[in-house]
Amino acid sequence: MKSKCIVFFLFLSISTYIKAQSLLDKISNVETESREYVMSTFKGTRISIGHSIETRKKNTLEISFMSRYWNVPEETSDSFIADRMCTRFGLDYGISDKLTVGFGTGNPNGIFDGYFKYRLMQQRADNKGSLFGITLLQTGTYRSRNILGIEKRDSFGDKLAFTTQVLIARKFTRNFSLQISPTFVHRTSSRFDIDDHNQFAIGFSPRYKVSNHVSFVSEYYYVANPLESIDTYGAFVLGVNWEVSKLLLQFKMTNNQIFTEDAFITQTGQNFNFRDGNFYFGFHATYHIQL
Amino acid sequence: MNKLLSLVTFIICFGFTVEHKEFIERQGQVTFFSYTSVENIQATNNQVLSLFNPTTSEIAVSILMRAFVFKKSLMHEHFNESYIESDLYPKATFNGSIIDFDPDQKETQTRIIKGDFTLKDRTKPIEIKAKITRTDIGYTIEGSLDVLIDDYSINVPSLLSPNISKKIEVSFNFNYAPYEE
Repeated sequence: MKSKCIVFFLFLSISTYIKAQSLLDKISNVETESREYVMSTFKGTRISIGHSIETRKKNTLEISFMSRYWNVPEETSDSFIADRMCTRFGLDYGISDKLTVGFGTGNPNGIFDGYFKYRLMQQRADNKGSLFGITLLQTGTYRSRNILGIEKRDSFGDKLAFTTQVLIARKFTRNFSLQISPTFVHRTSSRFDIDDHNQFAIGFSPRYKVSNHVSFVSEYYYVANPLESIDTYGAFVLGVNWEVSKLLLQFKMTNNQIFTEDAFITQTGQNFNFRDGNFYFGFHATYHIQL
Repeated sequence: MNKLLSLVTFIICFGFTVEHKEFIERQGQVTFFSYTSVENIQATNNQVLSLFNPTTSEIAVSILMRAFVFKKSLMHEHFNESYIESDLYPKATFNGSIIDFDPDQKETQTRIIKGDFTLKDRTKPIEIKAKITRTDIGYTIEGSLDVLIDDYSINVPSLLSPNISKKIEVSFNFNYAPYEE
């Protein structure tokens, strides 16, 4: 009898224990884990000058204005603010959440460029499954004007260049992301036989977010087989991205003036420093429209 | 003695089952609005999870913040990345009970739900006016409340403060069905 009583009181105590569990605790047992992907490894479709793994969502259009300003060395200058400038206007459109296309052109380079970008793999938020995000980029450019004299300029077909990039990025923490970009650049012609039509490069691009709206970015591109006919250096950028609602503002210090991948990765003619002629200040503004 | 014991056990068991008669909603709807002269922001979440116990009139709600759907994709990104920080605070929760709730009343009853709302790890006591209706299988609870963004440390840069209302209107609609554990 005594043991029965003990069992009975034990049972009582268990039932009160179960009752003490709140509904909110109970709800967490009901919840099912859903597959979630990391958001915003980078904020824009460009980290600073180069493409990021980010694509635009379906039916969104971005209008971008890109510019570089610099001074010419050894010249008594009476220019306002800067001696030279270079611009590009571009449109980027999200065909689907994974596929973005864009094109642009600008002065005074007269380069017409287009690209498409496909998001192949997304990084998972729960550290299960894919640890990286992978996006494929294919660009094509047409040089309507002579810039450095690298390519032949006899026919339309001579003035083209194509860049293929496999963009691999990981958001390590909520503030720090790193992208590695193996790159293949193909030019359709070379004016000098010593220059290879095909060039291989790799880009390194870290981002550090300092606040919810501001991040520091940097990029460096190493070219494995650089041009022989001219001296080239790796493209380098230090920049700040500032997001103001629908406007993304990107400020940068860099050593190149051209906005397309094939040009700045393989044909940057000066190293990065603060001298006139080497130092380029860049400003990009991108406006986001939901169609 | 034995009869008495079995009777007591029966009562306890019976009381136990009645006490834990719970109702669940797995696809509850929560919508929020922010009206300003600059822009209107609206988002809906159709995956809200809620448990309701009519006997104790206790309610628990769990809202997955990433599941809010916006008309504009950039708003979704900013909501999660910059304002709610859903990577750090994935869920908002509510735990409370209906004051003076009568589980047997057939007609719609308007009652105050009192409880704690937690968003971005900040917990505030809130009171919500809600309508509770008995349905064939369970209950429907709907209502609305105002959430002040300053209460939950949602920081809006001063440059963007005209775009986002200080007071967010939240409305909800839950249809509960019996919960089988």
